[in-house]
Amino acid sequence: MSASQSAVRSRAEAVKVSRTFDWMILFTLFFVVLGGYHIHYMLTGGDWDFWTDWKDRRLWVTVAPIVSITFPAAVQACLWYRYRLPFGAVVCILGLLLGEWVNRYLNFWGWTYFPVNFVFPSQLIPGAIVLDAVLLLGGSMTLTAVVGGLAYGLLFYPGNWPVMAPLHVPVEYNGMMMTLADLQGYHYVRTGTPEYIRMVEKGTLRTFGKDVAPVSAFFSGFVSIIIYFLWHFFGRWFASTEFVSGEAV
Amino acid sequence: MAATTEQVKADAHEAPLLNKQNMFAGAALYIVFYGWVRWYEGVYGWSAGLDSFAPEFETYWMNFLYIEMVVEVMTASILWGYIWKSRDRKVMSITPREELRRHFTHWIWLVMYGIAIYYGASYFTEQDGTWHQTIVRDTDFTPSHVIEFYLSYPIYIITGVAAFLYAKTRLPTYQNGLPLQYMVSVIGPFMILPNVGLNEWGHTFWFMEELFVAPLHYGFVFFGWAALGVLGVVNIEVGAISKLLKKDLA
Repeated sequence: MSASQSAVRSRAEAVKVSRTFDWMILFTLFFVVLGGYHIHYMLTGGDWDFWTDWKDRRLWVTVAPIVSITFPAAVQACLWYRYRLPFGAVVCILGLLLGEWVNRYLNFWGWTYFPVNFVFPSQLIPGAIVLDAVLLLGGSMTLTAVVGGLAYGLLFYPGNWPVMAPLHVPVEYNGMMMTLADLQGYHYVRTGTPEYIRMVEKGTLRTFGKDVAPVSAFFSGFVSIIIYFLWHFFGRWFASTEFVSGEAV
Repeated sequence: MAATTEQVKADAHEAPLLNKQNMFAGAALYIVFYGWVRWYEGVYGWSAGLDSFAPEFETYWMNFLYIEMVVEVMTASILWGYIWKSRDRKVMSITPREELRRHFTHWIWLVMYGIAIYYGASYFTEQDGTWHQTIVRDTDFTPSHVIEFYLSYPIYIITGVAAFLYAKTRLPTYQNGLPLQYMVSVIGPFMILPNVGLNEWGHTFWFMEELFVAPLHYGFVFFGWAALGVLGVVNIEVGAISKLLKKDLA
């Protein structure tokens, strides 16, 4: 090839071009995935994530990991298997948390005046780190699904416990026993969460007494394994570079 | 490394490979515009957006809706029309350097798509949740809907389709058919807008307030997944750019 057929003038320019593309690609990937992931998460697990009085020991612990392991599995399927980049899960969760924190502060607090200690998002980083670490060390989709997926479900409640514990202490209010989080909910009435819809702390899981959260976390981890497998293959499909003919569309 | 610290010489008369001015000006346009929109919501949401039968609602919100719809249709027609009309009819004959320059311009469009998707799917969609958990709706065109559905969604659709059209009309990479995941990543999020029809029908039919995880909203979820098509776009682009730089990076 002659020099005129080259896209760049020198190796230095090639390196510079390559790195500039890296940044532009990462920026776009981060924000597009953030958008898709956030709309998915807010509409499948959002209410449990929005309000502390929804952050119970049963459904929040069960639902949040199951619906949030989706995009990390899909993005890992592209970033690891094509580029050996071991941060697919963490980059997804960082995007989601950025979108959520900006919203909780500027809109939940800034527009509708719910206090931030009532609307802070769930913590998902510990599970994401484990997902990426298992994939990096094991290099196996199956191992990541089984070990990482289970850990993702199991770690969710302990990861959130330091923030939630103070809000789960019992208080007596007008002769009723409730948690501080419940009390927040009573004071901040919302259109979609009247008492007859809210299902905090009901159900036969109470049969296990204090073990509600571990049982829920274990079940969540089990389903997270299955969801990881499923979304890994979704991710592979979304990462495909296929072209179709105009006639086929 | 010597290779990375060596000064890059550019031809003084040549257009830059990446027009950074355009990129930062484009990003600033979205950020400043949406900053103003958020200010407008903060002021006129509470003062004029609580009762759709009030005259001030017509003034501040319905007129906003009518104006934005006209402007969006005009912007889409002019922008998409211009990109198509000015297409390169000899796209397979461009030099590798010109191709690289066009990839950069294409990525400016994709960066804008990232910003537009963020505001539409993340910022204004979750914002809608808190507004409707606070204010009981009496119309489909609530202040948050006027912004979310009828402003931020059309804006990312206009941006996404513009990026797709740019790639299709100016880059050799996209001349061998239609890139499936590119279409998924643009048409999928576009389908969120028609899905508003289902959403409004359901809210009207059941008068359910804003329980965000209600199955009525799952249409948005399904089409939101399509954003992952960006992975395929990245892979196509990485392949094309690597091909252009391969021998120089070897």
